[in-house]
Amino acid sequence: MLAYWRLTLICWLIYLAVTANFELANLVVGLLIGWVIAAILKPASQSLSLRRLPAALFNLAKYTAWLAVDIIRNGIRVARIVLDPKLPIRPGIIAIPAGMKSELGVALSAHAITVTPGEQVVEIGDDGVMYVHCLDVVTSAAGAEEAQRKRRAMLQRIFE
Amino acid sequence: MKDLGYLIAIVAILIGTFFSIIGIIGLVRLPDVYSRMHATGKVSTFGVVLLTVAAVFATPLAGSKALVLIALLILAGPVVSHAISSASYRLGIPMKSAARDDLAGKRIQPPANQAQPARAEPAE
Repeated sequence: MLAYWRLTLICWLIYLAVTANFELANLVVGLLIGWVIAAILKPASQSLSLRRLPAALFNLAKYTAWLAVDIIRNGIRVARIVLDPKLPIRPGIIAIPAGMKSELGVALSAHAITVTPGEQVVEIGDDGVMYVHCLDVVTSAAGAEEAQRKRRAMLQRIFE
Repeated sequence: MKDLGYLIAIVAILIGTFFSIIGIIGLVRLPDVYSRMHATGKVSTFGVVLLTVAAVFATPLAGSKALVLIALLILAGPVVSHAISSASYRLGIPMKSAARDDLAGKRIQPPANQAQPARAEPAE
């Protein structure tokens, strides 16, 4: 029941953000739409501890900031590769073990890798190994394990 | 305050346009599908997101819409480039001048509800 109302609330907030209209009629319509979506999706009940929520949000903000810095640094690196007259690319696919059990964790790691320019996940094996295509294999392979360890620690701090 | 918002918007538009142009140059210059997906991925993360950031600062009333849009773009953009490169690999499109391929020889599991093998042999 709690998960149900939580999903309704999230849908309502997104609806209000998209419409940007705070008249009473719009508030009621948004609530109804959120309620119908939650009724159709039937979310699985999960234990939600309110005490953990601020820490999780703080860690999420930290993770987003780290991701933004990573995206900008790699974006500049790829821009220099593309604009270089000699086009110094060394493309290839490397295997990076995700080292996480949950599907959500593997999916979020793969998302973080793919959203950074210059690296993208082509395939995920059954054992959670991510096959990553890189524009520059040598540089990416050197820092891949370390980056994945950092990413894993941050993601675990959000969900634990 | 309004001028500061416009200044940030102008800077965001300039950087976003710059990275969009670089993405298109990369699309033309890079050799194969997989490398080209990096370039188009950069257009969607840098270019479009920075243009929507400009919208947040320049049009305060529509700011919340742009924030939802940024979240959706950052979540959905990587999924698109992963789907295209994964489909290319399953179709057997080769990489040009690959320095290393850890995925070669690994059997790719077809989805459970699919009868045909997911990876077709490349046409002769």
